[in-house]
Amino acid sequence: MHCRRYAPAPVTRRQILQQGAHGIGAVALASLLNDRSFGASTSILNGKLPHHAPRAKNIIFLYMDGGPSHVDTFDYKPTLAKYNGQNASQVMGKLEPTQFDNVGTIMGSPWDFKQYGECGHWVSSLFPHVAKHADKLAMVKSCTSQFSEHTFANYFLHTGSGLQGRPSMGAWVGYGLGSANQNLPGFVVMNGGMIPPGGLDNFSSSFLPATYQGSIFKAGKEPLANILPQEKKSALQRNKLDALKSLDELALGNYGHESAIESAIANYETAYRMQTAVPDLMAIDGESEATKKLYGLDSNFTGTQTFGRQCLIARRLVERGVRFIELTCPKVGGDRWDQHDKLREGHENNCRAVDQPIAGLLEDLQKRGLLEDTLVVWAGEFGRTPFAQGKDGRDHNPFGFTMWLAGGGVKGGTSYGETDEFGYKAVQNRIEMHDLHATMLHLLGIDHEQSTFRFGGRDMRLTDVHGHVIHEILA
Amino acid sequence: MYRYAYISLLGIIAAWSQPELEFFEKEIRPVLVQSCYECHSVEAKKVKASLWLDSRTAMLEGGDTGPAIVPGDPDASLLIETVRYDNVDLEMPPKTKLPAHQIEALEKWVAMGAPWPEEEQSTDSRKEKFDLEKRKNEHWCWQSPISHPFPSVSDETWTHNPVDQFILAKLEQANLKPTAEAKKGDWLRRVTFDLTGLPPTPKEVTNFFEDETEHAYQKVVDRLLTSSRFGERWARHWMDLMRYAESYGHEFDYSIPHAWRYRDYLIRAFNNDVPYHQFVKEHVAGDLLPSPRIDADSGLNESVIATGSWLLGEATHGPTDVRADEVLRIDNQIDVFSKSFLGLTVSCARCHDHKFDAISTKDFYALAGYLQSSRRVVRNLDPHEKISQGMAKLQSLQRQASAEIDKTTISPVQTPTQSLFSFDSGLPDGWTREGQAFPSKPTAANSVSVALGSPKQPFVGGGVMHSGLFGNKLSGALRSPTFTLEEPELYLHLAAKGNVSVNIVIDGYFMSPYHNLLFKGTHLNPKALKQKNAHPEFQWYKLGKDLKKYQGHRVYLEFLDHGDGFLAIDEIAYRKSDQSHLNQLPLDGEANLALSQILTEAKAVEKALPDPVRVLAMEDGTPENDLVHIRGSHKSLGDEVARRNLTALGGEQMPQASAGSGRLQLAESLVTAEHPLTARVYVNRVWHHLFGVGIVSSVDDFGVMGEEPSHPELLDWLALDFVAQGWSTKKLIRQLVLSKTYRQSCIPNPEITEEIVAQIDPDNRLLYKARVRRLQAEAVRDNILAISGSLNQQIGGPSTPVHLTSFMEGRGKPKSGPLNGDGRRSLYLAVKRNFLPPFEAAFDRPIPFTTMGRRSLSNVPAQSLTLMNDPFVIQEAKRWAHVLLKNPEPRARIQQAFLTAFAREPQEAEYEALQQFLSTQQTNYQAGPNDERVWTDFCHLLFNKKESIYLR
Repeated sequence: MHCRRYAPAPVTRRQILQQGAHGIGAVALASLLNDRSFGASTSILNGKLPHHAPRAKNIIFLYMDGGPSHVDTFDYKPTLAKYNGQNASQVMGKLEPTQFDNVGTIMGSPWDFKQYGECGHWVSSLFPHVAKHADKLAMVKSCTSQFSEHTFANYFLHTGSGLQGRPSMGAWVGYGLGSANQNLPGFVVMNGGMIPPGGLDNFSSSFLPATYQGSIFKAGKEPLANILPQEKKSALQRNKLDALKSLDELALGNYGHESAIESAIANYETAYRMQTAVPDLMAIDGESEATKKLYGLDSNFTGTQTFGRQCLIARRLVERGVRFIELTCPKVGGDRWDQHDKLREGHENNCRAVDQPIAGLLEDLQKRGLLEDTLVVWAGEFGRTPFAQGKDGRDHNPFGFTMWLAGGGVKGGTSYGETDEFGYKAVQNRIEMHDLHATMLHLLGIDHEQSTFRFGGRDMRLTDVHGHVIHEILA
Repeated sequence: MYRYAYISLLGIIAAWSQPELEFFEKEIRPVLVQSCYECHSVEAKKVKASLWLDSRTAMLEGGDTGPAIVPGDPDASLLIETVRYDNVDLEMPPKTKLPAHQIEALEKWVAMGAPWPEEEQSTDSRKEKFDLEKRKNEHWCWQSPISHPFPSVSDETWTHNPVDQFILAKLEQANLKPTAEAKKGDWLRRVTFDLTGLPPTPKEVTNFFEDETEHAYQKVVDRLLTSSRFGERWARHWMDLMRYAESYGHEFDYSIPHAWRYRDYLIRAFNNDVPYHQFVKEHVAGDLLPSPRIDADSGLNESVIATGSWLLGEATHGPTDVRADEVLRIDNQIDVFSKSFLGLTVSCARCHDHKFDAISTKDFYALAGYLQSSRRVVRNLDPHEKISQGMAKLQSLQRQASAEIDKTTISPVQTPTQSLFSFDSGLPDGWTREGQAFPSKPTAANSVSVALGSPKQPFVGGGVMHSGLFGNKLSGALRSPTFTLEEPELYLHLAAKGNVSVNIVIDGYFMSPYHNLLFKGTHLNPKALKQKNAHPEFQWYKLGKDLKKYQGHRVYLEFLDHGDGFLAIDEIAYRKSDQSHLNQLPLDGEANLALSQILTEAKAVEKALPDPVRVLAMEDGTPENDLVHIRGSHKSLGDEVARRNLTALGGEQMPQASAGSGRLQLAESLVTAEHPLTARVYVNRVWHHLFGVGIVSSVDDFGVMGEEPSHPELLDWLALDFVAQGWSTKKLIRQLVLSKTYRQSCIPNPEITEEIVAQIDPDNRLLYKARVRRLQAEAVRDNILAISGSLNQQIGGPSTPVHLTSFMEGRGKPKSGPLNGDGRRSLYLAVKRNFLPPFEAAFDRPIPFTTMGRRSLSNVPAQSLTLMNDPFVIQEAKRWAHVLLKNPEPRARIQQAFLTAFAREPQEAEYEALQQFLSTQQTNYQAGPNDERVWTDFCHLLFNKKESIYLR
C-alpha cells in the first residue's frame, strides 16, 4: 500500500482551499479554517480521516524506558523457579547473543505472583495497585523487537525504524488527526526527568511538518520552551502584539495577500493564548486532595510524586483534547528500568514510582468517563532475559516480552500471545512493534496503510511495509 | 487481479503411491493451507518473499532465498529450517510456531521426496519480471538532456535572457501574463538573502537606490557573488544534502572528529566557484585524484577533505550484529550519494528491485562494493608540504646515523616464524600507509638501522615498520589488507611509545575506541600499549577477549601514530612465538658521540616541524565486491556483483575496477557531458533555492515517484548550458538572478485574477509572479544578529557550542554555549545530533539523517513563541536598541530601523502606528521617550514583524 500515490498534505490555507475544492465539503472546510487546530491546519490527510469510526480519541503512552522485566511483572513463569540457579544454555538450549554477553544462571523471579480480577491475570507483587485494575488490562505477552540495544530499540518503538530520523508515533497521530485543542500541541511528552537513549529524536516529527513534533513539558516554572512572556507586565506584551498585528496587516498588500502571511499573523494569537493555556494545564492546585492522593502525590517517595503529577497532568491533557501524551520515567536512582544488576532494588524503585500513579490514572479516567475514549499503553522497548546477567541482573531480551493496553476500544481482561515456558521467546501469536502501531492507529480511526507521507520517493508509513491490527484484544 | 495460466504437469507424478498421496492430503496440505497460504499462494493478498508454496514446482523453484525444499533431505530444506525455528532470522509461520507433530509430518513428507498429486497449476501474474530496460526507456530522467530550440514568445521586450524566454513561452501558452518588477528594495533584499543568507546593509540599500542605471542590478549581483558570505550561504544548502553533523547520535552522541573541516571546505569551494564536476569528483573520490586541488592559503590538499562527506552519518556503539551495522551505514551512504548527485532513491533497491525506477537490487550492491572497498580514516595533511621538507632533512640524518653504527658489535637476529604478516621481505601487498610517520619500506632485512625517535635505544633490526625512524613528532597510519579472521586471538610483536594506538577494524566498525562494549580486546590505546620499562621494548601484545566473537568476519589492522611517539611493528601472528629481536645495546665509544650529535641535530629539525592538519576522509582499502543480500539480509547472500555504476547509467559497460576501490572511475562516470542526471539535478537544486520550488519540485527524486518537471525544456537548456559554461555555479546563479523572471513582484499582474489562477496554475508552477518565501532557519537567526549589530564576521573554524536550554537533556550532553552563539552565523553552531539548536529546529532546519534537498516549511505558533519569548531574541533587541538610541530623533530611529531591517522607508501609517506604540509603552513603563526598555520593545516588535522572516 505504501506504493500508492498520494498528494502531499496541504501546508497553506490556500492549498487547503484548493484541495477542499476536490474533496472535503464546504461545511467541514469552513470549520477547519475558523477553528484551526494547533499549529498549521494540516490535520487532514486528503480530507479522508478518520478512515473508520474511532474507538479512542486520545492515547496515553506510558513509556517504561530501559526495558522492564516481563518475567518479574506480568508474565508469570513458574518454570524459572524450578530451574533457578541452573546453567541457562544447558536447560534452555541455544541462547541468542545478549548485549553484555555475560550470561548467568536461570533466575526465578524474586517476587510472588498472584491472580487478579475476574480474568485472572497473573501480576507480581511489584504492581499491587495496577493489579486491582486487572480486568481493564489487555495483556500482550508475545511482543518482540528487532533490536537488543536501547537506542535502536527506542527508535523502533517510537518510530517503527531502528534508525534516527523517522517521525515518532505521536507525530503520525497528529499528522493524521490534528489536535482538538488549538491552544495546545497535539503531541505532548511529559518529561519525568529522564530522556531515553536516542535523545529527543524519539519524539521527532522528522520529515513530517515541524508542528507535529513532540513538545516536551516539564515540571517547574517554565513548563514548555519559550512559553513564558519576557515582559514584566502583560500590558507590555499585549501592546506589542496589538501594534504588531496592525503593522503586519498594513503590509499585507505588499505580499499580494499571501495566505502564509495571514496564517503567520494568526499564529501569534494562538501563541498568545498558549501562554495562558499551558500554565493553566500545569496548575494542579485546584485538584481535590482525594484526587492528588489517588495519584500518589502524598507519597514520601519522590519518584511516585513525580510520576503521579505526570499522570495527573496526562488526564488534564486528555480533558483538553490533546491526542497523544507520552510519559517518560522519573529518576529513581539506578538506570531507568535497565537493571543489568541489582534487579531487585532497581525494579522495586521503578515500580514504586509508577504503580500507584498508573492505577490512580486508570481509576480517575474511568470515574470521569474518559477511559472509554482514551487508550492507555504500557510498554518498554524490550523485556529482560529469564537468566541472570552476572549475579543479580537481567540483560536485554527483544525476543519476547509483555505490554498492556487499556481503555478506549480495548477488551479488558484478555491476554494475547505467549512466550515459551521460560519467558525467553515469543512462541504464540508473535507481535511486532508495527502491530502495536497499527493497532493504536486503528483505535484512533486511522488505517495505518492509508496514513502516508511522501518522502524520498516513497510513501512513508509509521508501520513501514508491515503491521497487522491485533483484533483479538479489541472490544 | 491474477491471471491464471494452466500448465499440465509432466513426469514424476505417476511415481507416487496412494498412501504417499494420502499422507500429503491428510497431513500436509491442510497445514500448508492453514499456516502458509495467507502469504505464499496465488490467493495471498500480498505474496511474501516471492515464494509460492501451492505447488511442488513452485516449492522447488523457491523464492528470494532459494528453493523451499530439497526432496529427500529435510535438513537441507529451507522450509524445514524455518518451521523448526532454528534460525532466529527466518522463523515461519511468523506469529506462532507449528505444533511439533506438524513439523514432524513436514519433515517426513520431505524425506519421502515430497509427494504431490497431479493437479492443475496456476501461475501468479505477480511473478512478472522486473524489466529495467523498459523502465529506463519509459521515464524521462534516464534520457540525456537535449538542446531544444528557444521557444518563440509574443512579448519579446519582456525577456532578459533565455531563461525568461522559456518561462514566458509557457505563460503565454497558458494565457497567463508575467507581472511587474519587484520594488528595488524588495529585489535587493531577496537577492541578498538568496546569495548570502543575510540582509543588505543600509548603505548597500541607499547605494542601490541611488544608482538608477540598469547596470545597478548587475553590480549588486557581482558584489554578492564575490562576497565571502556567498560561500557560507551555499555551503549550508549543501550540508542539508550531506546530513552534515558533528556527532554520531545514538546513545552517547560521540563527536565526529574534524567534521567542521568539511564545512569549511564547502565554504571555500563555493567561494572559489570550484567547477561542479570537480566538486562531485572530490566528494566521491577526492582521495584518489591524480592531481588534487591544493588550497593556496592553507597549502592543504582540498580534494581529499570532500570525501569526509561519506562519513557524516550516524554510528552506534556496541552493535550486537556488527555486519548488520555496516550494512546500515553503507545503505545510508548510498542513499545520500544517489539522492544528492543523481536525484535517485537507490536505497529503495536494497531489499528488492526498485518498485518504480530502473534500479535493480544488483545495482545497489554494485555501489555497495565501492564502499565495502573503502575505509574511514583520519588523514594527516601536510600544510604547504612543510612537513615533507623537514622530513627530507630527517631522512638524510637518519641515513647518516645508520652509517655510523659499528656493524661488528651489533648484529640483527632473525628467527623465521609462522606469521600472518611480517615485513622481512618488504611491505607486503595490500598494506597502506598514511601521513608522514611510517616510511615507505620496512627496515632492510639483515641490517641495523637507527631510529631517531628512540634516542636512548636507537638500534632497530631488519624487517620492522617503524614510525619513529625520523623522530617522534610525525603522525601517520599503517593499515593491513582486509582479511578473514581465522582465530580468536591475534598477536602483535611490536614496540610502542607515547601517543599511539592499534585497532582491529571488524566489518568497517570504527566505534570501539569510543566505547568497548562487545569489542573489548579489539583496541589498544596508548595506555594499553604503555611500557613499564623506561624504554620501549619489542614484545607481544594480544588482541583477544571479544575478538573471539568475530572469527570469520572481514577485518583489518590499523596502527596509528598520533604524532607523539612511535610504533615499531615487527610481526603479526595468530600464535606468539619466541621471537628474538635485535638486542638493544646501549651506545658507547666513538660511534656514540657521532650518533649523539646527529640525534641532537635531528631533535632540532623535528621541533621546527609544523603539526599536520587532520581531516576525516575516505581511503581505498582492499578491493572487494559485495554480494546481493536477499531481501536485504546479510545472512542470506546471493550473487557477487562487480563494482560499477547503475545499469541504467551504463554501469555494465564500465571497465572492471582493478586496483583499489574504483571510486575514481565511478566519480568520472558521473560527470560526463551527456550524463542525464548530474547537471540536471544540480541546476534544479540551484533553481529551487532561488525560486522556492524546483523545476522538478521533488529535488532529491527524479524517479517515477518524483514530480514531473514544470519546464522540461528549460531544465535541459540549463543543464547543457551549465556544462558548456564549465560547470560554474556562480555563472548559473548570475544568469538566474538577473533574469526578468527572478525580478518579478509577488503581486500578480492585475489582469490575472484569483479565479484564473485557481483554474490554470494554483501553485504558481509557471511563475506568473514571484513566490513569497519564508527565510530559512539559519537566515532567520542570522538576520537578527546582522540587524542588531552582533554578527561575528569570522569565517570558518571550529564550531561554537549550542546554548542548551533546560529542555535539552540526555546522554552525551555537551557543554552549553553562549546565548547568542558569540554572534556567529548559524552554520557555525555545533551540530550535535542529539542536541540540535532548538531555535533553528522551530524554523524547520532538518535533522541530519539523510539527504534533505527540500526542507519542510511549517507555519506554526511555536515559531511565534520563539520570536516572542526566546531570551536570545530579547537580548538582540536590546543590542539593536542601543544602536538606534545613538540617533537622537525618534522618527529618524524608526526610519533607520526600517532601512536596516526591511530595506525600505516606513509608510506614514506605519510611523503613526509605531509612534502610538512607543507612547503607550512609555506610559506602561512610566518612562521617557529615550528609555532603553521602550526601544528594546520597539526592536523586538520589528523582529516579530512578518516582513523580518518573509521575502517578497
